[in-house]
Amino acid sequence: MRISEFVEAAKKGNINIIEHTKKALKEAEKINEEYHYITAWADVEQQAEQLQKRQEEGNATGKLFGVLISVKDDMCVKGIESCASSAILKGYKPLFNATAVERCIREGAIILGKTVQDEFGFGTFGDKAGIGYKKPKNPVNKKHFPGGSSSGAGGLTKLADFPHLSLAESTGGSTAAPASFCGVIGITPTYGRVSRYGLIDYANSMDKICTMARTVEDAALLLEIISGQDEHDSTSAPEKVPQLTDIPANVNGIKIGIIKEAFEGADNHVRKQVLDAVYQLEQKGARKIEISLPITMKYGLAAYYVLAMCEASTNLAKYCGMRYGQHEKLSGNYNEYFSRVRTQYFGEEVKRRILLGTFARMAGYRDAFYTKAAQVRTKIIEEYNNVFSQVDVIITPTMPITAPTAEEVKKLTPLQHYLMDVITAPINLAGLPHINVPCGQHNEMPIGMLITGKHFAEAKIIQVAKAVENNE
Amino acid sequence: MNNFTTDVVIGLEIHVQLNTTTGLFCGCPIKPAEPNTATCPICLGHPGAKPLVNEKALEYGAKVALALGCKIAPTITFSRKTYFYPDLAKNFQITQFELPLGNNGHLVLDDGTIVRIERAHLEEDPGSIIRETESVLVDYNRSGVPLCEIVTGPDMHSPEQAREFMKKLLNILGYLGVYDPNTGIVKADANVSIKEKNYTRVEVKNITGFKEIERALQYEIQRQKSQDVKLETRGWDSEKGITHFMRNKETEADYGYIVEPDLPIFEISQDWIRSIQASIPELGEQRAARWVKDWKIDETDAKIIANNLDVADLFEKVAKKSKPIIVSRWFRRDILRQLNESKLELNDTKFNENNLAETINLVDTGGATQQVGSNIIQLLTLQDISPGDYVIETGLQQISDSNELKKLCVETITEHPKAVEDYKKGEENSLQFLVGQIMRKTKGTANAQKVKELFEGLLK
Ligand SMILES: [Zn+2]
Repeated sequence: MRISEFVEAAKKGNINIIEHTKKALKEAEKINEEYHYITAWADVEQQAEQLQKRQEEGNATGKLFGVLISVKDDMCVKGIESCASSAILKGYKPLFNATAVERCIREGAIILGKTVQDEFGFGTFGDKAGIGYKKPKNPVNKKHFPGGSSSGAGGLTKLADFPHLSLAESTGGSTAAPASFCGVIGITPTYGRVSRYGLIDYANSMDKICTMARTVEDAALLLEIISGQDEHDSTSAPEKVPQLTDIPANVNGIKIGIIKEAFEGADNHVRKQVLDAVYQLEQKGARKIEISLPITMKYGLAAYYVLAMCEASTNLAKYCGMRYGQHEKLSGNYNEYFSRVRTQYFGEEVKRRILLGTFARMAGYRDAFYTKAAQVRTKIIEEYNNVFSQVDVIITPTMPITAPTAEEVKKLTPLQHYLMDVITAPINLAGLPHINVPCGQHNEMPIGMLITGKHFAEAKIIQVAKAVENNE
Repeated sequence: MNNFTTDVVIGLEIHVQLNTTTGLFCGCPIKPAEPNTATCPICLGHPGAKPLVNEKALEYGAKVALALGCKIAPTITFSRKTYFYPDLAKNFQITQFELPLGNNGHLVLDDGTIVRIERAHLEEDPGSIIRETESVLVDYNRSGVPLCEIVTGPDMHSPEQAREFMKKLLNILGYLGVYDPNTGIVKADANVSIKEKNYTRVEVKNITGFKEIERALQYEIQRQKSQDVKLETRGWDSEKGITHFMRNKETEADYGYIVEPDLPIFEISQDWIRSIQASIPELGEQRAARWVKDWKIDETDAKIIANNLDVADLFEKVAKKSKPIIVSRWFRRDILRQLNESKLELNDTKFNENNLAETINLVDTGGATQQVGSNIIQLLTLQDISPGDYVIETGLQQISDSNELKKLCVETITEHPKAVEDYKKGEENSLQFLVGQIMRKTKGTANAQKVKELFEGLLK
């Protein structure tokens, strides 16, 4: 059932919201016991009771009436522990809702709870939730990782049979990667399309609140609701939000850009199935054009990591055990105290990124790293803009591999780890909208295709994604 | 490395609290409150909160920059300055680094010295630290209050020049209405070096006000002359009147600046700059110079009257209803004294252009004595009386009638034979004494000039 069909039924009273929600909650709890996707539960039953009352009073409104929404842990939900899955924020309950969350609530959504992630968004596989967090598992095969950093969002979206949508978040690929590894739809909008107010920052100039669902239409519905300028975030874009739902699956005359290098780096089975899917689009009238993005492919990942870590290292400075989150017994001077708390409660990867990010912006290195990376970013955006004067969308594999197992990941060096983001990082750096659509499997593990559009062309990538969804 | 030649080299970094009603990046009111109550998720740096620029603060900052002759940057760019300190809610301060709001301005001292203004930029104030015996408490109410930082070139050569610079700057800030001298804080850090010690630069922090800056620099220069000088940062202790070691320059934090990614880079339009420029009033110095040129007013009087915008405005209005030179003397002698003594702001007094002009003209045309005029001005600080009516009602019109005065003079001559004798011996003071007697008898209403002339005639 499409979400919109469920909403219509719920509004009419054909569904008892309280009973439906209780059943869904039980199902979610059962999934969570096995797969570890939820870090904190909202008071779901109370929300359901209120909606039921509204329905009975003839006041059932909203495009998400009665729909359960799970929220990535790095988005603030008022009164619900929101920690970006980091031990250092344990106990932190925000005083306000993120704008995206608030907009869902206004449309009658029920907030289910917070989904686990790699700590502060730092991870590709979903194996880096903070100290003390249970590791999430791939929904298709528990031996494999779910992808990160929006791991809980991807896994729960795959497994929840009740009507459910998920708010995810991406800085450098954190929606596309888990969507690909879990086999669900993940839309990352243009930077600025969705307000970041209430998002616990990773790299502010790249962070984007995203949507996940089982179908393109449902993910588009959620995106349509949360998009649009917000007075609380001055980087949110004034561009008008077009209709994103009910877009026909038509690719006739669509020009698809194919980056050769992006396919060469992928595993054989991934490459083959993505190209097969492109072939099917060609059969439906799309045209394939080979394109080249030399600067992007060579420097995109490096520039992404430098900038993301520089910003992250300043964002994480405020977590020091003083004003919120984890506290310790006071002793020593403030410097000793801050260091002790940060040493104890930040995970390995977080410390690595703070150190790298701090180094890259220190006097003497700043010009060579931070400033240079910012210049490269401008070049990359130019390069993409050029390409988009020739093509409508770019298609690549989302990830070069299918979801790996713990053993496989262990063998990767930190550098190989980062290389997993070679496709997703540059488009995130450029702030371009993109969508992951499942397009096959290998040994049962999902393979994802990534459709990228130019700035604010969400409607176009949704249109193409729908055609892929309809492929045989 | 440098090409200094003077004995002393001084540069200043001045932080001025702008008197906006809300914070630089949040809507918290700027006013005294219980500790940590005038705060919100933004100024407390809560996860997920985002800064929003206060346009009023931008406008105030631009006013300061333009009044100091600065060029305005093409864009508004904020940066993060990272360092760990408990009063800094985010452990970084949002400031301007790459591109200050204004740069390349100047301020000219009375001796012609040009002090370059290298930059004028906006930044947020941290919270305040309250030291207890074993710990410190932090109050974040001040966190996010807009500051304008003004950095000068190393262009001053004496503590007196630094004092004059600060005084002139405060005068400009007062004229612009961007700073409240009663509640706002102006803090200066001074970089000072002397030729004798090869211009080794020492930074002296936390100097408040223009009198303190002179004291602090005088002390520091003497200290440098008598001790080894190292590159270091020192603090000014105004109670003890000394500077004390704070830290070595070498161990100073590297701030790792990055562009503030939560705020877009705003383009500044020429229209906006023009509208700000148009809102800047004629500043004190220009005004004083105009009075001297057009109205031939004494230069010192002009400068003193022009010091305060409200006083200067009132002066101009009164001057237009009377003779400017005479009005300037009244302002300098009586009106400013009453303000000083009563500790009242001009707006809290009953002075207005009508009652002041009437008083001054009354005296000028002989309708009242200087003394009575002064008395009326004193009364006008608290009550709006009509000077003319007051003089009539209280019988304090000036006595200029020669016969009446002559009668009084003759009377006085007989009463004070000793003084008369002294006068005849050539003691000018005794004439003053005799005039004083008449003024006493008439409660100050006699025309003193006339009395003097009468005595001179009678005692020839
Ligand atoms: Zn505030």
